[in-house]
Amino acid sequence: MTRDAQYHPWIRSIRQLALIVLAAAAIALISNHFRPEPLPLVGNWSPEARLISPSGRQIAISQDEAKVLHQSRGAVFMDARPLDEYTKGHIQGAISIPWHEAEQRVMDVTADMANDAVIITYCDGDSCNLSKDLALLLENLGFSKVRILVNGWTLWQNAGLPIEAGN
Amino acid sequence: MEYSTEKRLRHIALAARLILSGVFIYASWDKILHPAAFAEAVFNYQLLPAQLINLVALILPWLELILGVLLLSGIWVSGAVLGINLLMVMFLAAMIINTARGLNISCGCFSTDMTSSGLSGWVVLRDVFFFSLSAYLLFVTTQANRLKKQPECVYTVNGPI
Repeated sequence: MTRDAQYHPWIRSIRQLALIVLAAAAIALISNHFRPEPLPLVGNWSPEARLISPSGRQIAISQDEAKVLHQSRGAVFMDARPLDEYTKGHIQGAISIPWHEAEQRVMDVTADMANDAVIITYCDGDSCNLSKDLALLLENLGFSKVRILVNGWTLWQNAGLPIEAGN
Repeated sequence: MEYSTEKRLRHIALAARLILSGVFIYASWDKILHPAAFAEAVFNYQLLPAQLINLVALILPWLELILGVLLLSGIWVSGAVLGINLLMVMFLAAMIINTARGLNISCGCFSTDMTSSGLSGWVVLRDVFFFSLSAYLLFVTTQANRLKKQPECVYTVNGPI
């Protein structure tokens, strides 16, 4: 019988587990350090930082920039939410491109657009990925100036910027 | 008669130990190889503050691997069993919360591939099964401790390793 068994049963387990966790942390941090591309220990998970296109381009656009482009009609707005949400209300002049029929809709809509046209995609909520998916699809089709307005619908409404309803 | 019951219980404990260690070792591998993709999966669960996501994504897979190896090799079994139980409770809670939220995210359980199976009733059920195995092992460990035995004895069919 080892001295360990004299302890309360849980104490041995907890002590062992604490050492196991420490060992895991040590191995994890050391092996990460020697990886070719170490993962930063604290990542930047803000919505804007997550929106980097495969070409490394920062594709999020600020509300102010988007507002200026909207006023000057310098950008095409694309709404990536489902059609029924678009019908209830959307950014004035935005085109509805629901994600599930995006490819077909994009082909129809962009047929006569130049490749360097500024396109701003949006959906709703910080964690909504539809606008990102749509932006990446557009970039793959050769559009070089695609931007994403993160949480666009909520931001636009809260700022009292022009909206409209219907199809 | 009593002997055969005891032997059967030992068989069950041994099977639980082999299954769980296999599951944990297998589950750790893809995540150790692809920490960035696993961090994405952790982020998608939307449960942790942003500062902790990468640390958890780095350490958790190694913790799974070490727990699995210890459970398999019979070293520090009581600590490993406690750890596996705590992890199973956390995994189950995270899944149930996000199933209830209706979040359509990938499980990130065995693969960091984002197109792999999403959360569903079946995935939760699978984890309930694993948790029942680990809870049984925790019960056996505490029993062994109460009898002042080395818990390691309980996991093998023929006494201590």
